[in-house]
Amino acid sequence: MLVEANGLTKRYPRVAALEDCTFQVAAGEVFGLLGPNGAGKTTLIRLLLGYLRPTGGWARIAGFDCCGDSLEVRRRVSYLPGEARLFRQMRGRELLEFFARVRPGSQEVERSFRFAARLDLDISRPVAAMSTGMRQKLALAAALAADTPLVILDEPTANLDPTVRAEVGELVKEARAEGRTIMFSSHVLSEVEEVCDRVVILRGGRLVHEQLMQPLRRRHRIRALLHGDLPDIPAALRDQLSIERRGDREVVIETPGELSPWLGWLATLPLRDVVVEPAGLRAVYERFHGPVVRHEAFAATEAP
Amino acid sequence: MNKALLWKCFRESRWLLLSCAAAVYAFCWVRVWMVGRIDTERFGAILELLPGDWKKFTVVEMDWLITYAGRIAMAFDEPVVVFGMSIWAIARGSDCVSGEINRGTMEMLLAQPLSRLQVLSHQALMTVAGVVVIAGAAWGGTWTGIHTTSTREEARPAWRLPFAMPGVGREIPRPWAAKEVRWTPMADRVSSNIYLPAAANLLSLGFFLAAITTLVSSCDRYRWRTIGIVVGAYVAQTIMKLVGMAAEEWRWLMYLSVFTPYEPEAGVNLAMKSPSLAWSVFLYGPDGQRAGLGPLGDDLLLICGGLLAYGAAAVIFHRRDLPAPL
Repeated sequence: MLVEANGLTKRYPRVAALEDCTFQVAAGEVFGLLGPNGAGKTTLIRLLLGYLRPTGGWARIAGFDCCGDSLEVRRRVSYLPGEARLFRQMRGRELLEFFARVRPGSQEVERSFRFAARLDLDISRPVAAMSTGMRQKLALAAALAADTPLVILDEPTANLDPTVRAEVGELVKEARAEGRTIMFSSHVLSEVEEVCDRVVILRGGRLVHEQLMQPLRRRHRIRALLHGDLPDIPAALRDQLSIERRGDREVVIETPGELSPWLGWLATLPLRDVVVEPAGLRAVYERFHGPVVRHEAFAATEAP
Repeated sequence: MNKALLWKCFRESRWLLLSCAAAVYAFCWVRVWMVGRIDTERFGAILELLPGDWKKFTVVEMDWLITYAGRIAMAFDEPVVVFGMSIWAIARGSDCVSGEINRGTMEMLLAQPLSRLQVLSHQALMTVAGVVVIAGAAWGGTWTGIHTTSTREEARPAWRLPFAMPGVGREIPRPWAAKEVRWTPMADRVSSNIYLPAAANLLSLGFFLAAITTLVSSCDRYRWRTIGIVVGAYVAQTIMKLVGMAAEEWRWLMYLSVFTPYEPEAGVNLAMKSPSLAWSVFLYGPDGQRAGLGPLGDDLLLICGGLLAYGAAAVIFHRRDLPAPL
């Protein structure tokens, strides 16, 4: 495992920013971190980078302790912060050269110029004269150019336009194809869904759910308006369905796999305005962070 | 040594360094030129009018202070020179940790394979190099002034003899003749080397201020607060020294002020009168008893205090959590 965390905890006098977080990330995996603001995503990343000292538990990257061997860890990690603040007195080109040269023996400067060109960035401009989006692209070019086995991207597409967001997705896929491991934190569920192999969901500083993306892509969801009472689920289908009620009339029915076994039962229900769609990550996310009243649920975790 | 990091530190601070060094250099040069414009003898009358208590505020004799050497030495106590050094030291010291955190750039910097000690030490190296440059500029300006200025002196003409008479020399003054104005090169009156202890004292003060500011910066996350704390302490320390000098019952306050070991005139005075004591650590009285710290002792006190502050800053910065940028 490239990244390992065990009982990782960060408590402040009045608040627990991260509580008993245990997970592993395999080499070559794209690992997503999901959760609303304050869920603990950034705290987790900052603990991995050695910016914060854990109050409990431990984390290792490539076998090096994130707190005690932070320098060795950062030799193996490149990081893009959520809102990259760069050295404003430099020009874009100088900044990329600085990040390339600050790593001893690095030959990454041409590579970072190529990434900047792909992101359609004018690196001759002073950083101070760049927009927030341009600075984000510049930081992204520097982070992706570093030749490290692990790349941590904290909301990499914040402040970027849709075209560049798509390009970022491509760059992440290319990095994975090169065998690099990516930790990807984002609020944009569709992006996480598109690029990640596995995600964890954080809530109130706790890791509450771990989700493999491959089975999720087979799952479907039906949204409809229900007229009348919700009937009992046939015993044969009970283990394969979850039904959630939203408000007075809306129901959301989910299935982990094939639709065909229960389409017959569905036709007997008093439903209107039926929409069938792939369940997607949103359905999982909303179980932990959405305004949902649950009727029935799958087993809590579908982790391997 | 990480050249890229050092280059970044230089790039960030070069204009501030250039302006501080240029201001100090130009001021010290002009100060010597101004000293050369006014004849020393004219200060005698002013000195007689000053109340006796005024002498409390100087560690050297007033009579020496009005000589060319003394008046030039006072340049090292002028606000332009002291503030030029203080501005550099406080600006750079505060930028070291809380400045980078405040701007949010520490996040990207420490994402690189750089230890916190490396970040701090490269910043400190640039700051100390700047302190040396500014102290050098003060001495360089004084040297330039001394070697480009002539003194205006009024003296009576003399007969010049073709041979030197024992005890008289080659010139015999004409006491009844009217005084005439003479221009003498300042270098004939004052040696620029006697100002080296003053420049070293200025360097030591700059080093100490930079280190203390770095210490506060290493605990903080806002640069403006770091500067506020250090400037507040700076003013308090200045007041403590002045009160300690003014009133005997408050003399103990002087020993709590970092400005007490900053006495550039005393170093110049010693370098002129007793060159062998110009770089002494301790001074001794006629009875052989230790009478206090010498110019080098004052410098070492400030430098040791600065080294302790840098050490504490390194420990604190190494152990602390880095807050997320706001």
